[in-house]
Amino acid sequence: VSRIAPLAWLRSTSARLALAVTASFLLAFVVLGAGVYFAVSTLLTNDAREVVRADVAALLQLYREGGHDALVAEVRDRADAPDDPDAEYAVVGRDGRIAAGTFSQLPHWTVKAPRWIELRERDSEDDSVSRVVANLQPLRDGGVLVTGLQTRSQDRFLALMLRTALAGLLVAATLGALIGWLTARWVARRLRSLDDTAARVGAGELALRARLDGSDDAFDRLARRFNGMLDRIGDLLDGVRHATDHIAHDLRTPLTRLRNRLDRMRMAGDGEPPAQARMLDAAIAETDQLLQSFGALLRLARIEAQSPPDAGALVDLQRLVADAVELYAPIAAGRDVGLRAECVPAQVRGDADQLFQLLVNLLDNAVKFAPTGSTVELRLHAASQVVELDVADRGAGIPEVERERVFDRFARLETHRTSPGTGLGLSLARAIVLRHEGRIALLDNAPGLRVRVTLQRA
Amino acid sequence: MRILLVEDDPHTAGFITKGLREDGHSVDHADNGRDGLFLATTETYDAIVLDRMLPQLDGMTVLRTLRGASNRTPALLLTALGDVDHRVEGLRAGADDYLAKPFAYAELSARLDSLARRGTGGSGEPTRLRVGDLELDLLRREAVRGGRAIELQPREFRLLEYLMRQAGRVVTRTMLLEAVWDYHFDPQTNVIDVHISRLRQKIDHGFPAPLLHTVRGAGYRLDA
Repeated sequence: VSRIAPLAWLRSTSARLALAVTASFLLAFVVLGAGVYFAVSTLLTNDAREVVRADVAALLQLYREGGHDALVAEVRDRADAPDDPDAEYAVVGRDGRIAAGTFSQLPHWTVKAPRWIELRERDSEDDSVSRVVANLQPLRDGGVLVTGLQTRSQDRFLALMLRTALAGLLVAATLGALIGWLTARWVARRLRSLDDTAARVGAGELALRARLDGSDDAFDRLARRFNGMLDRIGDLLDGVRHATDHIAHDLRTPLTRLRNRLDRMRMAGDGEPPAQARMLDAAIAETDQLLQSFGALLRLARIEAQSPPDAGALVDLQRLVADAVELYAPIAAGRDVGLRAECVPAQVRGDADQLFQLLVNLLDNAVKFAPTGSTVELRLHAASQVVELDVADRGAGIPEVERERVFDRFARLETHRTSPGTGLGLSLARAIVLRHEGRIALLDNAPGLRVRVTLQRA
Repeated sequence: MRILLVEDDPHTAGFITKGLREDGHSVDHADNGRDGLFLATTETYDAIVLDRMLPQLDGMTVLRTLRGASNRTPALLLTALGDVDHRVEGLRAGADDYLAKPFAYAELSARLDSLARRGTGGSGEPTRLRVGDLELDLLRREAVRGGRAIELQPREFRLLEYLMRQAGRVVTRTMLLEAVWDYHFDPQTNVIDVHISRLRQKIDHGFPAPLLHTVRGAGYRLDA
């Protein structure tokens, strides 16, 4: 899994989806936070100016009534015994000297009209810098009245808000990532159920359909379309199957009649020249071969139509294997092929005749394609839940690309065209395995073929 | 032999009747279940060939009625349904054998011969079978030919026993498969022939007169 190139996970739709959700969550939070911060800070500044403005109005009133000295006296009083520790004052002479006030030093301004400024004042005690919102008022004598308010508490509030917002951002980022991950997972899960269904249908469980939840959302619609597609495939397959079954069924009777007539001809003409008798024999053998093919097709159709043998009797696979090996021992010996069975007691539920047929078909193939002097191996292995049956030969095997195809009706490998057989042996084997709710797989025996049948253990 | 054929399909009936007559049997034919049942209860036959699906009264009912009336005439059930289940059902209803359509005449003929013999079979189970100079001891599971003991595998013993019980009559491959192997299955290649040739090797090799004969287009026959 870790062989994926760095950042390759970014290409996955789920990861992108999770990232997109997280990013939009964060962006929304940042925009909202910045807006609130700006609004609150403006509000606070305006509040401070309001306080300062009232102060300025009172001082200007005093200046108008009492003149410069009264103002200086008032400011000095306020600076010595402040009502509000945050309030700051200064009366600056035209020469820039501070006549009275709380400021120790101030820059030199030329003030023509009242205006607002912002000062930074360094506190001599704790070396902290505080912001001062200040108003400059020109005085008649060319001096300036500076009235300000330290915004310490406002700044603290804003700082607190910023800290809270950052903490919130952290929570939001985590939450966003979590929600993104959950969303991606949810989407992936809904798709996975579809994916699983597709995989299992592909593996041969043609009757399986995707689960619908009735929500009629995009996934549900996709699942419905998917099911519709599977139904159509099923109908087409049924059509093909029915056609072959009907052909097999309807042709069997006339074919049997033909065989009987040929048989009769041979019986009647016992004194015929041997060449003619041989031709009749060949004709009969060919009709027999055809009848066998049709019989196998019909048997296949019947097994495919059967429901699983749920309450099936217990079948002793070990005995079945022993009997099949005994049945094939003479044939194998005739071809100088060894037969070795490695068995453990194993029971499954099902149809003994069909399971024996399965063994016969697999064994027949293995013995047929095993090279002279090699050994065909049968292995019965019981795990806790399943029983595994391996039939392995040392023949040419089946190329990987052909492995699915050989289960099809009449599918025969190009290289085996000339060997006897109906081309239905593996189709029948698979139908029997599927009916018993098992799996059949063609594996590489390096060299040769290893057919593995997995059945539910009884 | 006197045989009753109850079959509604004229073509099948014609071909069976023709074949049986040529083989020297006398055949009565009924084309529906009621007539068939009437003939079966009023006349005496060596064997009945009964179609499973018949107009008026179906084959299974005819069979059950006959067996209910203690008529033990051997019956061979013909059917278009070749399922194992149907086979079991047919045998349970009292049929002695069961043949799925379409079938080769040789198959029907061999099975009828076997059935008729079973019907007239002697009293009690023999403990020894004998064909020519070949002798089979069923209790001691031993085979001897011309004083020479023959080693047989259990399955070969069953094969030989079946052939000897049917001595002189044709036995088809399907009959052997059903009688000697315990499964109802379709042998892919000529497995039965290979088993027979192994058996032949054991019982005929080194003896001037072979006992086990191949009957072309039908099967095998064990005969002195």
